[in-house]
Amino acid sequence: MKYVALALAAVAVGTPVLAEYPERAIEVTIPAPAGGGTDTSARKLGTLLEEELGTSIAVLNVAGGGGSVGVTQFMMQKPNGYSLLATWNSPITTVPQVQQTAYQPDSFTPIASTSETAYTLCVKPEFPAETGEEFLAELAANPGKYTYGNDGIGGTMQLAAERIFQGEGIEAVAIPFGGAGETLQNFLGGHVDIYGGSISPVLPYTESGEAKCLIVTSAAAVPALPQAAGLESLGMGDKETLLWRMVLAPAGTDQAIVDRLAEALEKTVNDPSYVEFLATKGEVPNVVVGDALAERLQNEYDALAIVAENLGLNQ
Amino acid sequence: MELISQIFGGVFAFGPIAAMIGASILGVFIGALPGLNPVMAIALLLPLTYSMEPLVALGMVAGIYNGSMYGGAIPAILLRIPGTPAAIATTFDGFPMAQRGEASRALKIACWSSAIGGTASAIALMTIGPVLARATLYFGPAEYFWVAMFGMASIGVMVGKDAVKGLMAAAFGLLLGTVGLDQLSGTPRFTFGEVWLLSGLDLIVILVGLYALPPVIALAEDRDLKGLSASALKLESVKVPWGEVRSMVPTWLRSSLIGISVGILPGAGGNIAAFLSYNAAKSTSDDPESFGKGNPLGVAAAECGNNADNAASMIPALTLGIPGNVIAALVLGALMIHGLQPGPQLFHQNPGLVGGFMVQMLLTSLLILAVGGAAATRIFAQVQRLPGVMLVPMILVLMAVGVYVINGRVIDLWVMFAAGIAGYVLEKLDVPLAPIVLGLILGPMAEQSVRRALLISRGDPTELFTRPLSAVIALATIGLIVWPMLRAWKRRRA
Repeated sequence: MKYVALALAAVAVGTPVLAEYPERAIEVTIPAPAGGGTDTSARKLGTLLEEELGTSIAVLNVAGGGGSVGVTQFMMQKPNGYSLLATWNSPITTVPQVQQTAYQPDSFTPIASTSETAYTLCVKPEFPAETGEEFLAELAANPGKYTYGNDGIGGTMQLAAERIFQGEGIEAVAIPFGGAGETLQNFLGGHVDIYGGSISPVLPYTESGEAKCLIVTSAAAVPALPQAAGLESLGMGDKETLLWRMVLAPAGTDQAIVDRLAEALEKTVNDPSYVEFLATKGEVPNVVVGDALAERLQNEYDALAIVAENLGLNQ
Repeated sequence: MELISQIFGGVFAFGPIAAMIGASILGVFIGALPGLNPVMAIALLLPLTYSMEPLVALGMVAGIYNGSMYGGAIPAILLRIPGTPAAIATTFDGFPMAQRGEASRALKIACWSSAIGGTASAIALMTIGPVLARATLYFGPAEYFWVAMFGMASIGVMVGKDAVKGLMAAAFGLLLGTVGLDQLSGTPRFTFGEVWLLSGLDLIVILVGLYALPPVIALAEDRDLKGLSASALKLESVKVPWGEVRSMVPTWLRSSLIGISVGILPGAGGNIAAFLSYNAAKSTSDDPESFGKGNPLGVAAAECGNNADNAASMIPALTLGIPGNVIAALVLGALMIHGLQPGPQLFHQNPGLVGGFMVQMLLTSLLILAVGGAAATRIFAQVQRLPGVMLVPMILVLMAVGVYVINGRVIDLWVMFAAGIAGYVLEKLDVPLAPIVLGLILGPMAEQSVRRALLISRGDPTELFTRPLSAVIALATIGLIVWPMLRAWKRRRA
C-alpha cells in the first residue's frame, strides 16, 4: 500500500506537466510468441489500458532466446513513452545468468509490476512425506534418488527449486521439459517423481488426490494448496522466487511519463475484470513501482546469480 | 437425452453458427497464406470474445483450427508452398498433380480428405477421448524417442532414387535441428554468438524458403506471360469418379487412425501425422513408385492425416488439463475465463460447453466441404490463370510478409532466402528436400527425448528397450524399415 500511495502522490505532481501524453499509439513489445501466458495477460491488460489512457496500443511479439531476443530488440527503442516492454521476470533476471545478453536488470526504466504467482513442488500420494518439512528431509536423506521435472534448464522454475535445495544441501536430478504441461504429463505417468511448475495445471490433481503439493516457492502459503508450506514457515522466507510480470520502459524515460503509466497500470491491474482474469491463471495482482521495482529486479538477479553459479550454468 | 438436447441447443444458435461459418472461411485463408498460422489468429481474436457467449469463442477456435489445416493444402498444391508445416506432405503429390493440370481435382481430394480426417478425429474426441488420454500418460521420454524414430524410419521411403543423396539430406536436416540453445544443458550450439539463433531455426521460415522459392525461381525462368486459359484449368468439369472415391477409403481409414494416435500425444503435431500417413499410404501401396509423381492417394493420406490430428490434440487438454499444443492451451484459457477448471472433472462441470465444443469440432470439419469445396477451391485455383510474370512478385511479397510476422524479425527473411537458394541448388542436384524437413522436425524431438530418458534412468540405456511400451514401438520401427524391403524382395522374386 505504501507504494500505491507513493505512486499516487507522484502522479498528482506529475500529471499536469504532461497533460497531452499519450498523444499517439503506444507500441508494446512482448518478448514471447502470441498465445503464451505473458502474451495473453499483456493483451488483456492492453485492452483495459487503451481505455484508461485514451490511446490505442499495438502489440509486437518478438519471440526467441527465452525472451532475450525481444528484450534486446526493445533496447533500441527511444525513451519517449511510446515504446514499452511487457515481460515476465525470466528474460530480465534469469536469462542473463545463462546467456550472454546485451542488457542487465538496470538497463531499463521500471514502470510497474502487474501480477505474480508461485511455483510449486508436488509428489504422488504414496511419497513418504506429508509436509514441506518432511519432504525436504526425505530429499536430503536420499541424495540423487529423486527426479523433478521443471520448465527448462536454467529457467526460473529450476532456479527457484535449486535456491531452496542448495540451502538444504539437497541433491535432486533435474529433468527439463518444454513447459508445465509436459512436466505434468510425465509426473502423472510416473516418469518423474516430483512435479515442479506453476500451480494452476496441477490444481485439479491435488483435489482428486493424485498429487500432493508440499511446497510453494512464495514466502507465504497459497490458499488453493493448503497442504503446501510457504517458505516463511520453513524458515526460508528470503528464498522466495516467483513468476511475475511487469511493464518496463527504455532507460532514460521522462519521470512524468513513468508516473502517468504507473498510475494507469495501478488502476487497470486492479480492475475487477482483470483480477478475475488473473485468478483463472492462478495469479494475483501485485503492483510495485519505481525504485522499489528496480530493487526487486536487482535482488532477484543477484540471488539467482549465486544459484546459477553453484549449478555451473552461469555465463 | 437431456444432455444431448442441451449440447445441440447451445451449438445451433445464431451466434455459434455464425462464428463457425465465419471462422472456417477465415481459417482457410489463414492456412492458405504462408506464415500466417492458426495460433496467431486465435491468439489475436480470442481476447475479443471474452465478453461473448463461450460457444461463440469456441466455435471460432474450432473453425479457424480446422479451416486452416485444410487451407494449408491450397498453396501446397498450387504453388508447392506449404501454407502450414502440416501441409508439407501434401506438396509431394499435390504439386505434381497441379502441374499436370489437375489442380482442381487435387484440391477436391484434399478438401474431402481433410473433412473426413477431421470428422473421424472429432468422433474420437467425443467417444473414446478420456480412455485415450489416460493411455498417453504411459508415454514417457523413452517412448517419445521411439515415436520420433518411427517417424524418421519413413525417411527410407522419401529418399527417392538415390539413397545416398537422401541420407545426406536427412543428415543435413538433423544438423539444422541442432542449432540453438540445447534444451537439456543450456549450451548454445552453432549460434556464433547471435542472439536470434538461440531459439533455433524457425521451422516454418525454413519450410517456406526451401519449398516455395525453388518453384518461384522456376516460374521466373519460364518467363510466362500468359498463364493458363480458363479452359485449361478444367474447373467445372472435374468429377472424381465413384470408383476412385472407393479406392481412397482404406487410405482415409488408415490416415485417420494415424492422425488421431499422433494427435493425442502432447507435443507431436499435425506435421508428423501427415508424414506418417503419407508414408503408410506409400509403403502399403501396390505401386509405391507412383508416389511423389502426382498420386491422388498421397494427397488424400497427407490431408486426412493432418486434419485427424486436430480434434484429437484436444483430448489431453479437455480430459487431463494437459495442453498438447498452443491452440489447446488457448482453448483451456478460454474455458477458464468462463469459470471452468481444466482437469479430469472438466466435462462434468459444464457438459453443455465442453460437449458443445466437441460438436463444433465435428461441424467445422464438415464445413470444410462447403467452404473449401465449393467456394475456396474454385477461387484459389484461379491463381493459376495469372501469368508467371505477375505471379512471381506476388508470391515473393506474400512469402516475405508471412515470414516476417512470425517473429517480427528481419533476419528471418534472409534465412528464408538462404533456405530457398539452397533448396533450388539441391533440387538441381536431385537431392530430395523431404528428408531435410523430417530431420529438422524429428531430430530435436528424438535427441531431447533420448537424453531425458537417460537422465531419468541415470545413464542406463537398457530402459529404452525394456519398458514394455518402448519395446513395442521399437519393434514397430524396425518393422517399418524391414517391411518395404521384404515387399521389394518378394516383388522381385515374383
